[in-house]
Formats: sequence, structure tokens, C-alpha cells
Amino acid sequence: MFLLPAIILVAVFVYVFLGWNLWLSLTDWKGLGGTGEFVGLKNYIKMLTHDRIFMISLKNTLVLSGIFIGVTIPLGLFNAILLDMGLRGRRLFRLIYLLPLSFSFVVSATMWLWMYAPESGAINTLLRMIGLGSLAQPWITASSQSILSLAIVYIWQFSGFATLVYYAGIAAVPQQLIEAALVDGASTFRKYMSIIIPLQRQATVTTVVLLLMYSLRVFDLVWLTTGGGPGYSSQILSTYMWRVTFNRNQFAYGAAIGIFMFLLSMVILIPFLVAVRRGEEA
Amino acid sequence: MRALKRRKMTSFIKRLVRRKYYIYIILLGLSVFYLLPIYAMINTSFKTAPELAYGPIQLAKGFNLSAYGEAFQRIKQPYVNSAIMAVSATLLSSFIGAMAGYVLSRYRFRGSSIVFFLIIIGFYVAPQSILIPLVRFMGMLGIYNTYFALILTHTAYGVPITTLLFKHYFDAIPTALVESAQIDGCSVIGVFTKIMLPLALPGFAVVGIFQFTNIWNDYLYGLTLTQGVASQPVTVAVANLKGTTVAAWNVHMAGAFMSSIPVLVIYLFFLRLIVKGLLMGSVKE
Repeated sequence: MFLLPAIILVAVFVYVFLGWNLWLSLTDWKGLGGTGEFVGLKNYIKMLTHDRIFMISLKNTLVLSGIFIGVTIPLGLFNAILLDMGLRGRRLFRLIYLLPLSFSFVVSATMWLWMYAPESGAINTLLRMIGLGSLAQPWITASSQSILSLAIVYIWQFSGFATLVYYAGIAAVPQQLIEAALVDGASTFRKYMSIIIPLQRQATVTTVVLLLMYSLRVFDLVWLTTGGGPGYSSQILSTYMWRVTFNRNQFAYGAAIGIFMFLLSMVILIPFLVAVRRGEEA
Repeated sequence: MRALKRRKMTSFIKRLVRRKYYIYIILLGLSVFYLLPIYAMINTSFKTAPELAYGPIQLAKGFNLSAYGEAFQRIKQPYVNSAIMAVSATLLSSFIGAMAGYVLSRYRFRGSSIVFFLIIIGFYVAPQSILIPLVRFMGMLGIYNTYFALILTHTAYGVPITTLLFKHYFDAIPTALVESAQIDGCSVIGVFTKIMLPLALPGFAVVGIFQFTNIWNDYLYGLTLTQGVASQPVTVAVANLKGTTVAAWNVHMAGAFMSSIPVLVIYLFFLRLIVKGLLMGSVKE
């Protein structure tokens, strides 16, 4: 049957692996030799009650996702409205806004390390050039700014995508609706506020789902810029999971963090996925 | 004279407002935000080592390619690995997704919507949740630290999204075509290969490009499943350029830029297909 290859691959690589990972998380397995003893929920209890770094990572993950989505969604909508004003060259601007998405996180990590470098980095250099040297910041090298600096990179990379979805969403608004409003004497501002933006619910929900999914799993960008530091100030679940598993060889504990990440993403994503399905049926 | 000047000035401002110049100013300001890091990367990659001291903004004195030479030596084998890996996994996952998407779009059987749901859930599972079993599994198959491991991994985790994209794609093709072929005595396989596949070619372009960019840009699986230049993808090799020589930003940037070229070319020349793929994966229409 045609479905078989897909079913087998997904069954093994998603469901069998999830089950396997769950089982590992209930043992004290420490590495490649041996299999480890069954210890029940011990790893989870340790994680949730005794591990301060885990809690910091969880908090950082949520804060990062919050800032990222809280800025990307309005910025994407704003960009899309500007592009919708019917200016010449809007295709070029759309391309420019989308370009960051083409780079791997490895490349964007490289670029932004060079942007943020405190002494010779691009941002601080520019600030000094225009006489605003006092505004120069330590960026990712300071614990108080590391999460915010990383959020800016996420926003840089994904806001073009949000722009694109909203741009398509605005284009899909029936022309009669807009014309009717204009006949009634609505201003451009009213046109967007009262007619177009309220119709973007579906676009918002689908964008939030994808952005959430990425922000909960992104590893490369943080790993290659701050490595979770300074201290634990930008440690997030994905980097902490890697550190625990592959640097400290606490495989069972890493598996428990992996399962926690799965549950977290499902708890956060399922309401949105349900909303997407509802929107499709409506 | 002065009054004239002022009148000229106000009419200039009026024109500015009417012609929406101020929107251009905002658009250009935002463009700086999006382009500055890219400029810093390309500009730095053309610098010589002594020039690095001037920082990333000051324009390079010329197109000095020495950083490219050094970076290329270190990433050329990984570059080939990435090409093999991304092309094979793209083809495999697109083809498997096309078959599954076709069946799920055309045939309603008991549990078909549950099967579809269970497949696309795979798209939302974070790699960290299956990473340890994945490493073990590749070890058991004896292909850990080869690019076969990466091909298999990217194919498997590509299937949910390719199935989703192809299902939506086939949903939009009218059933009348299929029915008339069936009346003419075409088998299921015949309908698929003779009618659906040719019709799906544009779909393959969209899905293929979408998959290729994702796979080419992956770092986590490459980092976890391979060691050493013989098997690692270019993303891992570029990340490793950083650690070895102290602050050789020009080499690092040259490597980063070279690794971005395939996807950048796709964005510049096939933007329409990229846009379609991104939208098909989100706003499903």
C-alpha cells in the first residue's frame, strides 16, 4: 500500500522512539555500557523539585518564547499592512524581510555574534559612529541582557515569515467588504482597524503555532552564541537537555527532560491546533 | 523670495505625505534591521586579518579572497556531504509524502483521519524528545557517524510535513479527472503515476524546495549523529570554524556565507515557490 512507508517511518521514528525515550527516563541509565536499573519517577522528581538549573531553563524558555512571539506577531502585522499600501517595490521589500529566514541558525548565530561583540561588534560600532556611544550595550555577554538579545535574533529571523502570512491573509479579505467601508467614508486607518485586522484571526493562530513550535525547540542559536550563559542566564530546555545528556552522560535524566519538553509543547500547542482545525471547518 | 521658499517647502512636505514617502522611510528603516547582519557577514568575509580591527561596518578594502580559500579547505568535504544528504533526503521524503498524501486525500477508509492526524503530529514533536533513542537506533543499525544516518533521519522527520503539504495539494485537484481515468480502466497505480504525478510536479517543486532548505540548514541532527569531516554536514563544519583559530572572523564569515549560498540562490530565484511552501504549511488554502 502507498501509505506504508510513511506509516512505518513515522511509527518508528516518532512513536516507538517516544516510548523508548519514556522508558529510558524511568531508569538510571548513564551511558553506552549497560542498560540501567528501573527507578520509577525518580528523575522527574529530581527535575521538578531539586534542580534549580532546570527551573531556570524552563523559565528562560517561556520568557524567550513570550518576548519572541509578543513582538513578532505585531511586527509581522505592521510590516504586512505597510506592504499592503500598494507601493512600488513592495515585492523587493518582501524579499528583504524574508531573507533572514533563508539562513541556518549556525549562520545567524555567526552573524549575530559579530553584531553583538561588545568591543568591535557592528551594533556598538554603529552607535559610536553616530555619537551615541553611551548607548552601547554588553548584549549577549551580560546575564541581564542575554535572553533579550537572543529574542531579537529570533525576531530578526522569523518576522518576515509572520509578515508573509499576514500579507496573504490581508490579500484574502474580500474586496467588496473594503469597498463598502470606503463608500461609507471609512479612513485608511479605520479600514485596517475595523475590517482587515479582525479578519486575521486564522492567520494569527497558525503563525503563533509555528513560532511556538520553533521557539520551544530551537537549540543551535543559543548553543552557538551564549552556550546558555553567562552563568545560566540564557540556558533553555533544549540546551540544558543536550548538556546533561551528551556532556555529562546522564542519559536517563536527559531523556526525562526530553519527555518533559514533549509534554510541554503538546500542552501549549494542542489548544492552538484545535483552534486551527475549527477555523478550517468554519 | 523667502515666502516662495516656504511655499515650496510646504508643498514638498505635502507631496511627501501624499506620496506615502514616509512609508518608504519606515520600510527602509526596517530593511536596515534585516540586512545589517547580512552586510556585516559578507563585508567581513572579504577582509584581510589586519583589517578586522576596524570592525564589521567599515567597508572592506577590496575583494580579498584569502579567507574564502582557508574556509573552503576546511568545509569542502562537509559541503559535499550536505549536498548528498539534502538531495537524497529531499527526494525520498517528498516521494513518500506524495504517496501518503495522495492516498489520504483520495480515499476515505476507517481511521484515515486518525492516521493523518497521527502522522502530522510528528511535525510538532521536538527533536530533543526523541534524540537519545535516535542515536541508539543508528548505533544498532551500524550507520552512526555516516551520512546515511542523516539521510534516514531527515527522510523520516520530513514525512509528516511532506504528507501534509501533498494532501492539501491533491485535495485541490478535481476528482473528475481521476474518475474518468478509472472508467478507462486505469488501476490505482496507473492513476497515480499517469495522472496524479504529472499534475503534482509543481507540488514537488514547492515541497522539494521547502524540504531542501530545512534539511540543508539543520545543525542538531548533524551534531548528534556525526563526528569528523568525513560525515558531518556543512552547518557543523561552519560552527567548528569558530573554535579553532582565535577570532578569525573573516574565515568564519566566509565559511558561513559559502554554506548559505544554495538556499540563498533558491530564495532569490524561486521566491514564489518558497512563499507557496511556507504558506501551504501554515495557512492551509
